[in-house]
Amino acid sequence: MDNSSSFCGRREQAFTRRDFLQSAGAGFGALALLDLLKDSALAAPQSINPLAPKKPHFAPKAKSVIFLFMEGGPSHMDTFDPKPLLHELAGKPIPPSFGRVITAMGEFDSPILASKRQWAQHGKGGLWVSDWLPHIATCADDIAVLRGCWGDGINHSAGVCQMNTGSILAGRPSLGAWTSYGLGSENQNLPAFVVMQDNASSVVNGPRNWGGGFMPAVYQGTRITASSEPIPNLNTPAGISDAQQRGKLDFLNTLNREHAATRQLQTELDARIASYELAFRMQAEAPEAVDMTKESDETKKLYGIDAKETAEFGKMCLLSRRLVERGVRFVQLYSGAGSKWDAHTKIEANHSKLCHATDKPIAGLLKDLKSHGLLDSTLVIWGGEFGRTPQSEKGDGRDHNPTGFTMWMAGGGVRGGQTIGSTDEVGLHAVEQRMHVHDIHATILWLMGLDNMDLVYKYKGRPERPTLNEGGPYKKIAG
Amino acid sequence: MRFSTSVFFLTAVATARAAENQSDIFFREKVQPILTQHCFKCHSHGEKMKGNLLVDSRDALITGGDTGPAIVPGDPAKSLLIEAINYKNTELQMPPKGEKLKDAQIATLTQWVKLGAPWPAMPGQKMQSRPRGKISDADRQWWAFRPVAKVEPPAISAQSSVLSAQKNGTSGVEQWARSTNPIDRFILAKLDAAKLRPAPTAPRAALIRRVYFDLTGLPPKPEEAAAFAADMSPGAYSKLVDRLLASPRYGEHWARHWLDLVRYAESDGFRADDYRPNAWRYRDYVIASLNSDKPYDRFVQEQIAGDELWPDTPDARIATGYLTLGIYEYNNRDAAGQWMNMLNDITDTTADVFMGMGVQCARCHDHKFDPILQKDYFRLQAFFAPVRLFQEAEVASPEQRKSYDKKYSAWAAKTAHIREKIAHIEDPIRARSEKEAVKKFPPETQALIAKPTAERTPYEQQIVDLAWRQVSYEYQDKRFDARVKEPAKTRRNTLLAELNKFRADKPEPLPRAPIATDVGPTASPVVIPKKKALGEIAPGFLTVLDEAPAKIEPLQNSTGRRSALARWLTQPENPLTARVIVNRVWQFHFGHGLAVNASDFGTLGEKPSHPELLDWLAQWFVENGWSLKKLNRLIVTSATYMQSATNPIAAQAKLADPENRLLWHIPTRRLDAEQIRDAALTVTGEITSADGGPSAEPDRHVRSIYTKFRRNNRDPVLEVFDEPDGFLSMSRRNTTTTPTQSLLMMNSKWTLDRAKAFATRLKKENSSDEREILTDAFRLCHGHDPNAATLGAALKFLDQQAKEIGGGFGDSDAASFIADKMQTREGRAAQLVPESGQERLVIPHDTAFPRGDFTIEAFVNVKSVYPTGAVRTIVSKWDGNKGHPGWSLGVTGMGSRNKPQTLVLQLCGDRPSRTGDPVEAVFSGLHIDIGKPYFVAITVDLDNATEKGITFYAKDLTNDDEPMQSVQIAHSVTGGIANESPLVIGGVGTGNSSLFDGLVDDVRLSDTALKNEELLFTSPSPGEHTMGYWKFEAAPNPYADSSGHGHDITAEKQKGKVKDPRFAALVDFCHILLNSNEFLYLD
Repeated sequence: MDNSSSFCGRREQAFTRRDFLQSAGAGFGALALLDLLKDSALAAPQSINPLAPKKPHFAPKAKSVIFLFMEGGPSHMDTFDPKPLLHELAGKPIPPSFGRVITAMGEFDSPILASKRQWAQHGKGGLWVSDWLPHIATCADDIAVLRGCWGDGINHSAGVCQMNTGSILAGRPSLGAWTSYGLGSENQNLPAFVVMQDNASSVVNGPRNWGGGFMPAVYQGTRITASSEPIPNLNTPAGISDAQQRGKLDFLNTLNREHAATRQLQTELDARIASYELAFRMQAEAPEAVDMTKESDETKKLYGIDAKETAEFGKMCLLSRRLVERGVRFVQLYSGAGSKWDAHTKIEANHSKLCHATDKPIAGLLKDLKSHGLLDSTLVIWGGEFGRTPQSEKGDGRDHNPTGFTMWMAGGGVRGGQTIGSTDEVGLHAVEQRMHVHDIHATILWLMGLDNMDLVYKYKGRPERPTLNEGGPYKKIAG
Repeated sequence: MRFSTSVFFLTAVATARAAENQSDIFFREKVQPILTQHCFKCHSHGEKMKGNLLVDSRDALITGGDTGPAIVPGDPAKSLLIEAINYKNTELQMPPKGEKLKDAQIATLTQWVKLGAPWPAMPGQKMQSRPRGKISDADRQWWAFRPVAKVEPPAISAQSSVLSAQKNGTSGVEQWARSTNPIDRFILAKLDAAKLRPAPTAPRAALIRRVYFDLTGLPPKPEEAAAFAADMSPGAYSKLVDRLLASPRYGEHWARHWLDLVRYAESDGFRADDYRPNAWRYRDYVIASLNSDKPYDRFVQEQIAGDELWPDTPDARIATGYLTLGIYEYNNRDAAGQWMNMLNDITDTTADVFMGMGVQCARCHDHKFDPILQKDYFRLQAFFAPVRLFQEAEVASPEQRKSYDKKYSAWAAKTAHIREKIAHIEDPIRARSEKEAVKKFPPETQALIAKPTAERTPYEQQIVDLAWRQVSYEYQDKRFDARVKEPAKTRRNTLLAELNKFRADKPEPLPRAPIATDVGPTASPVVIPKKKALGEIAPGFLTVLDEAPAKIEPLQNSTGRRSALARWLTQPENPLTARVIVNRVWQFHFGHGLAVNASDFGTLGEKPSHPELLDWLAQWFVENGWSLKKLNRLIVTSATYMQSATNPIAAQAKLADPENRLLWHIPTRRLDAEQIRDAALTVTGEITSADGGPSAEPDRHVRSIYTKFRRNNRDPVLEVFDEPDGFLSMSRRNTTTTPTQSLLMMNSKWTLDRAKAFATRLKKENSSDEREILTDAFRLCHGHDPNAATLGAALKFLDQQAKEIGGGFGDSDAASFIADKMQTREGRAAQLVPESGQERLVIPHDTAFPRGDFTIEAFVNVKSVYPTGAVRTIVSKWDGNKGHPGWSLGVTGMGSRNKPQTLVLQLCGDRPSRTGDPVEAVFSGLHIDIGKPYFVAITVDLDNATEKGITFYAKDLTNDDEPMQSVQIAHSVTGGIANESPLVIGGVGTGNSSLFDGLVDDVRLSDTALKNEELLFTSPSPGEHTMGYWKFEAAPNPYADSSGHGHDITAEKQKGKVKDPRFAALVDFCHILLNSNEFLYLD
């Protein structure tokens, strides 16, 4: 099917049809003032399109984000934060000196579980990476490991909600939505904020994780799949020919233009007419963006697409690169959608499988971004909603631990090969260079050129900020 | 709800804001915080005045201090303030001691000076730096805190535009000149002052459509519109309004506005997102209250304190459901933390909804902009501190209870012996479950639970309540079943089956609803976190309005605190309550309130455009018995409301008042989500009326307000058109315009189905004359006849489409496949409905299919089970003949000889002792809730007749924390089940007796008994034993076997039916009308 003409047949037409400023009727005085105000957050962007690229608060280091979300909470003590003391304490209760916390399943008094991993230092920076992630280890010098992360959610719902929105309670916009709001998008034909997941189970809390909260829905994330219909309802329904669909759209245009002609005051009507054109352009561009047939076998191999266990996440990683290449602002990938990383029992089997499924694809992504010259402008983030406890659960698993866990960042201006912060000797509490989720978000925004206190959306007349007026960026991550 | 701002329009609004307003906001939001935070400590009244400099007014800055003027408006380079903050001069560095401002802050102040240092209100007026914990006289002067003023509507000025227009013979505004509606005089006075003329009265077709949607949320019927257009009698409009206000549809529509405000939803909104099956009682309460025009003061009192004020009135108790609407996480061992969040949510929402005050900021510190003290936050919270929230409690009337008790005791007597035996089995298991659940809590909480009830403090009781909600969850049906092991299990099942025989004697359960009461007559103490030294905070109102602690009259079982709040909120002198609600009603009619931020009357909200009108309305409303219907009537019968969407003087008016705050026309507004869905179902003739009651699935054709509202799983049609998500109080909806909406409207099955239904209706209700059919369609969708050109274009469209479609085949197989989304699952699931044309999905037999051991797995959502003992089949390989070999996995019916609603495997094969029934039913006892998504599986190691042979699995998908349940059952059929029958999803053979009803997704057949870790749930991909894997996705096609074995489902052909091109073209036409702006927008 010839996509270039099947939706409206008006691909070339400019997005805005009227002089919106004129039609909105701003007085000359207002325009002059707005000109003076143009650097402040109150200034109106140049275009009526809310996703038009906007100027950041300061020079950004990263243009795009790829957030690799290990949903369910990966164990930091078995991946990036070795704790030799666990071997000595294995089988014993945690010494009281580490302080008591509330755990999700009440496993605080269960015996310590030693890590079965082999550890080695990697790269010039000597980053510790366990044998579960041999491929990521080869990228050690691109990665800054944040070992002092902490948050407030002791269960998945609260943790995933906070890692996405800053609050353990639902209702706020996600970080991706804030980024779309603050920076707009470089590509109007694709969603600014895209979400993918590795299986059909709902991510905990469902789509509200990438929702716009109280912001307009235009900023929310769009879930896409690597299929012939990457976005829901994108394709002309089966049984309807292109000519038939085109006829319908032309007739709709006739009706809508006649309606708008007598209602010049309402620019929104033009926006709706334009939204059908935008839909059409999305219809043309989205399938191409997710079409991996033109990628070489070598590239596919790099991502592990040639092997069954790594193919699914590998495809998602490769797609991320393709989307970032096309100007998508924020990509979020869920590994283990539906809390599959949640290893309350049999952590060996659980994490072995998931680490294996993601390790090569993630390393492939970092390497491929680099070879495409995209790593400098793409911030890659790895982590889950929390880490896991040093104590065992049911003998061979670990409970949730939001009081200390590890994330890492690479690319996007991050200086690789460094380890930032630490947990205590058993990995329970973050102790040095503690970074709350708000600090992590502020750091991500800062790398994107946004100040977490200056990014303001007015809801019910009140100023709202992405990190709930808290937290600050850890600028040393950049050098 | 009316709201004209699309996302595309948002920025235009910002552009269009009056310059003066813009600078006010700039000052308040950007400049003022810097001055108060960084300069006031040393340079303001009431603090210090270092260097004789004050920075708390524009005049003071211009006057300057010891070193001279601090600012020269318009010239940053000459302004000492700017020099100082830039740290350029080592002698003059402010703020001192290295507390240099951030670059962005310096830029803001520079820009502000450059703009001429705009300072809202009087330039000499001091900006108060509020001493901590104190309220100033200036604070009390903020308009919202001043008493509602007694105002008289202004007289029409002799120079009024409407009078001169009348004189000049300019038609359309006569109504203004003779209007007796006071609203019009307030509006006209401002328009006159701005030298603007109101718009002419709207055409009657537009007016009836507007008032129908505004009052009932639905479009008028074409015959009603025609009758109104023809009725030129003076009282025609007034009569129409009365009829609409009296319609039950009025309450259904206006309830939605209220439900937005109180963050109504029907699920927990956390991970489990548990459905709240009785939440609808609050929804019905709101609808009934609005329909009966319950006075607003009483409406408020009931929701805040109905239990205290009218303890014997079920409705007043249901009203307290308001307090229970917040989100709740069942899986949270931090009960104290969760309780704090719940109380904060009630406090915040109450201030937003009833007082129009954002108090959240004051939770941590005195409000930075408004005179709301941190203490005020906790004074307000103290009213709610003693509250006890029930997920469900009986709300029966005494009569209902009496008749229930009678029937129940009869049933109880008859079944006592059975129930006693059941209890004997269950009690110890329940005690064990409780113990296990309690153990998961931290030791302090466990200690509270262990404490005798009488010894607990009220607060401790509240924490125990919350923890116990989680404990009792552990032995609800489904979890409990899994805990009952053999041999107790068989005994219990037999007893339950016996008890089930008496189900006809059992009375219908009494009505239950989520409600609130107090925990007792003593309140839990409220202290300000980190300020415990201040002691207990007594309940009280905003200090700015009333400094004294609230007067509380304790009740026998309740503290009486909420009654005090309810009374205070509804006393006629309260300056907020009436203003807030009349402003909201105004907003729902005009798109924006007289005060723009309807839930924030503080200084961050803008001042009202017509303060006198707001006060006049507030006073009128109270004097008229707080009647919302009267208020609605007053508004919609005003000339202001009846204006057209267009105004001949628009060009001039846009310059003077780009935001239309003065109301010189009625904006064209998009319908709300529910209005779009309800209007579509109305014009297609599909809408069915419901008079409340339990909510329906969104695929039913009831009004949107009667469909299930799950926070984490929303109806895609409502969601895409900005239905709020139910987490926070929503005072004004976003109205977005996105390509996602366009894609849904053009390509989704939902819209296509509506188009087909619409076309079918048109054919049925009209003659075969196409002009008549098309005209009828336009009338239904747009509310008026098409003009000749439009009708001509439509006829031409029909011709063209019919030609394009030709005599082609009907819907392709793939298009006729009925799919839906399963809650908690992404992608599509197959919908199997008896007698729908998609009763079952058939996969032809293949020799590769397993002959012995096998595993069958699927995701299911069962919509109903049979009332009899018959089984709803999930998957079978069997022709259903009892003498023939085969197997079938299904769910038992209500009259099951074992247990209703449980997974069962039927095996027909070699049985060692072929006595009695040749079919062996292996009952799992695993309970399946109706309407809930599950993963189910059965692994069969056929020749192993022990308990190791067959394992059933069931996993509730709405709750990821819920462990996968599995159960192993011994069986006797050990072989001989192989057969040539097709594999059938949703039925057995071709019979019509064991059909499935509901959704099925991802079915996988394997030729061995899979191990737990190999199951589809954890490994959602084909494995080495997979013989077929059906996902029902649109691509490549819903019938495809994605395992690569080519075991595709036989598509039920649409009998190669040739499409009637003319009808197909009419469907296309209907589809476009439903997409058209004139359908989606209101003038």
